[in-house]
Amino acid sequence: MTTVQMDRRPGRPVAAGYTPGDARPGPESTAGTLCLKVMDTPNAPNPEAAAPPAPATDVNRRLGALLERIARGDQSAFAEFYGLTSRRVFGMARRVLIDPELSEDTTQEVFLQVWQNASKFNPEAGSPLAWLMTISHRRAVDKVRSSQSSTDREAKYGASSQEIDHDSVSDEVGSRLEAEAVVRCLATLTATQQESVRLAYYGGLTYREVAEKLNAAIPTIKSRIRDGLIRLKSCLGVS
Amino acid sequence: MTDMNAQNNGRVPGGFAADIATDLTSGRVVDLAEVYALDALDDAERAAVEHYLAAAQQAERSAFNERVRQARETLATSFTAEEEPPAGLLDRIVAALPAQPAGRLADGGPAAGRPDPAAPPVAAQPVREPAERPVADELGAARRRREERRRPQGMRNWLVGVAAAAAIALGGVGVGAYVANQNDPLNQVLQAGDKRQATVEVSGGGTATVTISSSKDAVVVRMNGVPAPPAGKVYQMWLIPKDGSAPVSQGLMDAEALSKPAVVKGIASAAALGITVEPAGGSARPTLPTVAAAPLGA
Repeated sequence: MTTVQMDRRPGRPVAAGYTPGDARPGPESTAGTLCLKVMDTPNAPNPEAAAPPAPATDVNRRLGALLERIARGDQSAFAEFYGLTSRRVFGMARRVLIDPELSEDTTQEVFLQVWQNASKFNPEAGSPLAWLMTISHRRAVDKVRSSQSSTDREAKYGASSQEIDHDSVSDEVGSRLEAEAVVRCLATLTATQQESVRLAYYGGLTYREVAEKLNAAIPTIKSRIRDGLIRLKSCLGVS
Repeated sequence: MTDMNAQNNGRVPGGFAADIATDLTSGRVVDLAEVYALDALDDAERAAVEHYLAAAQQAERSAFNERVRQARETLATSFTAEEEPPAGLLDRIVAALPAQPAGRLADGGPAAGRPDPAAPPVAAQPVREPAERPVADELGAARRRREERRRPQGMRNWLVGVAAAAAIALGGVGVGAYVANQNDPLNQVLQAGDKRQATVEVSGGGTATVTISSSKDAVVVRMNGVPAPPAGKVYQMWLIPKDGSAPVSQGLMDAEALSKPAVVKGIASAAALGITVEPAGGSARPTLPTVAAAPLGA
């Protein structure tokens, strides 16, 4: 019984599932993970190098059709949608949250939200994948900010950023060609732009925390994020 | 510093300020679109941007939304870390799926129950049909099962749930939020040294984030992605007193108010905050199922 009928039992504690004894665990092991990857040299901007990739239109078309069915309560469409996207959602959660259980729970919340909000998906406001990853990132960031201090997050980001972003692009979502274009386009950003965007995206840091982390002026970080994403957008031909 | 400034067309001259409030007042909201899309603003700043946009000219709002859309497409294309989720997760999710509204399920034929795409967002599910299956109970049960399964693995500091009884993530929140208007009650809570934050699921979609400050004796409630109340209905906020007396109304939220953070004061004697759906005009006492609730732990 979790729906609270306040009129009947006004004094009943509302959060049946909340046990004060469920104390937050301390910070995850952070020793040894504090060294943030330092990018040594800026990559020379080279906008001509990257041809705009074909956007993931096929995948997005499939996902869009699935969302229509999910909106009608079709569980097999939901399972297919999960099969196409769960690696992305869980992968993002793991980057941001590190903790496997928090990541799993975030993934579960994201897909519950997909189930509940599929009918509200509006193709004109963006692609299905962007819609899904926006939900996923927001969830992960909300969770990480409410459960971990920014110091922990920076430390964890340091650990997670050792890996390459595009090491495991599967055939399910996105194509090889597209992945190569992304690598090329990311290389057109300056190292400081890349670093700022990644710290915010995978580290879950605010621009202010990014500035503190990098010991840079706050307006500078905002500019880097803006200019970096705009440059990436132009290079990828996102329209 | 080699930050590129080649994309300067149409931009307000000059650079960003240190704080978001100044960026907004100097007409730079559209330039904040990428930072916004990256979720790199804190809650108060995000609220400030949204508040600004709500009152902005249509053209400015459209320009902002377009830049946000493009940034999100760019991020979804560029950051593609993948990792295989744990085996069995899909089964657990499916087991926890709330029932779709009656008539939506397959046997009704292709058009049966199909939501009209042009219709307003689906309202909070549990209140659409009072006789409907209790979504919250199913989810709560699934959650309890899962927790029981997992308890031996160690402490869990938060719980998943889509309905009333709440996903709780209480804890220290990062410090350093800076907002220009330090003196308004909203910012006093959001900047309080003792603030704690929790996000609770709202039945029917979205979440409510509560920021609690005992020293300010207040809580800030912000709804995220919560659908507008059904026609003729409003959301109503209540404080549930510790002493078991009747809940005390803290005001109504219509569709418009949903986008703005609300400050509720006088929480010292309250055990929890609850949100219900009530007939337009509100009720003297909560009458309909709670769509969200957060313990205040003050």
